[in-house]
Amino acid sequence: MGRLPLDGIRVLDFGWIFAVPHATAWLGAMGADVIRVESMRAPDLVRFLTGTNGVVGPNLSGVFHSINMSRRSLALDLSNPKAQEIARRLVARSDIVTENFTVGNMSKYGLDYESLRAIKPDIIMLSGTPLGQDGPFAKTVGFGPTTQAFAGLCHLTGYPGGFPCGIGGTWPDFAVGTAMVFFILAALHHRDRTGEGQYLDLSMAEMVTTMIPEAMTDFFMNGRDGGPVGNRDPSMAPHGVFPAAGEDRWIAIAAASDAEFSALCEVLEAPSIASDRAYARLEDRLRNVEVLESEIAARTRNFDRDELVRRLREKGIAAGPVYNTHELMADEAFAESGMMVTREHGDSGERAVPGLPVKFSAIAPDYRGAPRIGQHSEEVLNELLAVTPEEIDLLRQEKVIF
Amino acid sequence: MSENRPPRALEGLNIVELPCLDSMPFLAGAMAAKSFADFGAEVIKVEPPEGAPERRLGPFRDATPDPEAGGLHLFLNTNKLGVTLDLNRPRAREILFGLLEKADVLFNPNLPELNEGMEMGWRRMLERFPRLIVVSLTPFGADSSYRRFRGGDLVATHMSGVGYETPWHQVTDPPNQPPLKLAGRQSDYLAGYTAAAAAMVALFDRKRNGAGQHVDVSQWLAMVSMIRPNLGAATHEAPDAPGYQRMSIRRKAGAQWVYPCRDGWVSFNAGTERFWRGWKEVMGSPEWMDAEIFATAVGRAMHVDVIEAAIHDWLSTTTKREAFERGQSRHVPCFPVHTIAEVADNSQYSARGFFIEHEHPVAGAIKLPGAPCRFSRTPWRIVRGAPRLGEHNRAIFRRIGIDDNTTAALAAEGII
Repeated sequence: MGRLPLDGIRVLDFGWIFAVPHATAWLGAMGADVIRVESMRAPDLVRFLTGTNGVVGPNLSGVFHSINMSRRSLALDLSNPKAQEIARRLVARSDIVTENFTVGNMSKYGLDYESLRAIKPDIIMLSGTPLGQDGPFAKTVGFGPTTQAFAGLCHLTGYPGGFPCGIGGTWPDFAVGTAMVFFILAALHHRDRTGEGQYLDLSMAEMVTTMIPEAMTDFFMNGRDGGPVGNRDPSMAPHGVFPAAGEDRWIAIAAASDAEFSALCEVLEAPSIASDRAYARLEDRLRNVEVLESEIAARTRNFDRDELVRRLREKGIAAGPVYNTHELMADEAFAESGMMVTREHGDSGERAVPGLPVKFSAIAPDYRGAPRIGQHSEEVLNELLAVTPEEIDLLRQEKVIF
Repeated sequence: MSENRPPRALEGLNIVELPCLDSMPFLAGAMAAKSFADFGAEVIKVEPPEGAPERRLGPFRDATPDPEAGGLHLFLNTNKLGVTLDLNRPRAREILFGLLEKADVLFNPNLPELNEGMEMGWRRMLERFPRLIVVSLTPFGADSSYRRFRGGDLVATHMSGVGYETPWHQVTDPPNQPPLKLAGRQSDYLAGYTAAAAAMVALFDRKRNGAGQHVDVSQWLAMVSMIRPNLGAATHEAPDAPGYQRMSIRRKAGAQWVYPCRDGWVSFNAGTERFWRGWKEVMGSPEWMDAEIFATAVGRAMHVDVIEAAIHDWLSTTTKREAFERGQSRHVPCFPVHTIAEVADNSQYSARGFFIEHEHPVAGAIKLPGAPCRFSRTPWRIVRGAPRLGEHNRAIFRRIGIDDNTTAALAAEGII
């Protein structure tokens, strides 16, 4: 293994909450020098979202640590003009700038793309906002979950014929963050070839709408505005979540072909379902899906979840346990995957948090524990801007570094 | 392409996308390759002679199946070149290997066992094409102990923990509200974007180190990555952290997310101090909100039912548009829950020109979701619509020395 793929690339990261920090964690793990600019004046909410063993503090948040590995933290209060000046000097030493403030904030700090470009013509800047940089509602305040709603995903997610539902895990923050990695690297690739930087304006809602093409094209072609269909799929039946023995134990089962459906009935010891003409072909099963689901549920209730999953997998049927977080972490293949990595984070000591979901055969990611707020202020300013320790003391007294 | 068009970011890259040969459609590879194609890479989409699965999935105009005119096909295959190859046939694989000589990235969405049976396992491919980025997209990972198992969108969603927390904050009757999948094929597309990001990383690695490599994308782990806060909380906190009980987060978070209003639904957050104050103003500062029990986040979470009832009352006389505008005027993150008709026609998306109209040679005028991100210098755009089945067979095969007569003979034999 040689140098990391993004060695020598510097990212000045003004991002906070979830999406942008997730993107820059990828870049940092791949060798970029990510400098996270943050401050105690307007700290990242995530630093206080959870704590360690019941104690909450800026350097104790397990959630923050799971999103902010592989970066250095520089504490700068951007409301202070001196801090803004420092940030602009750092731009001159950076390749990429990322941010996800409400539209207009970066201009207020003199850190909008036009200003940055004047400092460094080939800078790549990405702004991620709920609805994009222009348009009548550009200045909205929003989070991932409100963005799902605007983009159409909530309207489509829910129980059949039921009300719109919100999605777990603050979707789409991390999906958008992952896609940001692609966009940033595409722009960097272009810069490598041509010397040109550019501005990337990402609307989270638009990005989410690119992920519901079935519903959008159906509307555009047929004017159909469908609602939620639960766990079902228009091209497979059964395709659902069924109860297993015990309380709150569920199994997900999808049968894509007639042969898989027969095999499923065999495992469920339900020859009467297999031979029922009402379920003979896919179109029959789709038409009678509700009754079919209740017949299957009546069988699955008698099985231990994991035993049923094992039997179905052996028969080549797509099936899996419905996991909560605790069960996921106890799964043997998850443990073997190496996705959880243990590092020292903030003031929490050694803790395991998830790394990247992808494995590279020739890259060993550089996972470094999430930093305390301002942990690298002195190091970064000294190294990149030759600020002396005395000057740094002064900046601290003036609360420029804060 | 006219000369004055702006350049595209990924011009010069050559991508080959393999078809998913499973009975269950898995669209991650198609989404990953689309990301490259739409930013200018040349993507050769390899389809089986009967066509890629998305051609069968619709949606179709007036429910009339047409493999050249389904919405998913038209969306997922923009800007791609299309060839057909029956990869079960050794001659077809030879042709594929010919195409891979010049390729930078291969997206392969098939199970490891199937690939190995066709001499296309990732190790074999890297021996043969040392500069190639071989991207496996599988349910659990190409080297996982679950590598033989089938999965897909439903299984990945529910094994990740995301399904367990959906619907979010709205579970009132757990035994009768099973964990829920996200609409459509979110984890297919997520795995696609994950693969696209990882392939770019591997391309940068090749610039530094000269060699290709295997990129192992697991649909399951890609979904797990979406719920990473739970994992971080779990290793820092006792087992009452989020993600263990389906009801717990709602009780902890206080008033947030999806509520009915006069003409539909809204999504908002009033969980933090600042947003709670904002909501007070939005709702006209009723006296009850000043009560001691609501002064802290913990208090509000404990009395979330009271708060919700009051919010319900207020919303029942308010339209989603009013709630959106009044909420935003107090910096409260309140959004309308758009229907698909409202997504298709709202002033924000139209001001930004998000949906694009496109004239497809077979399907005619169509409208599609546009750029997932706006690039100022190398904008996303559609240069060509989705290819007809085998449209570019002759042109592409000529590049590797197969003349048109041979292509015709291969077609007659069912190899292409």
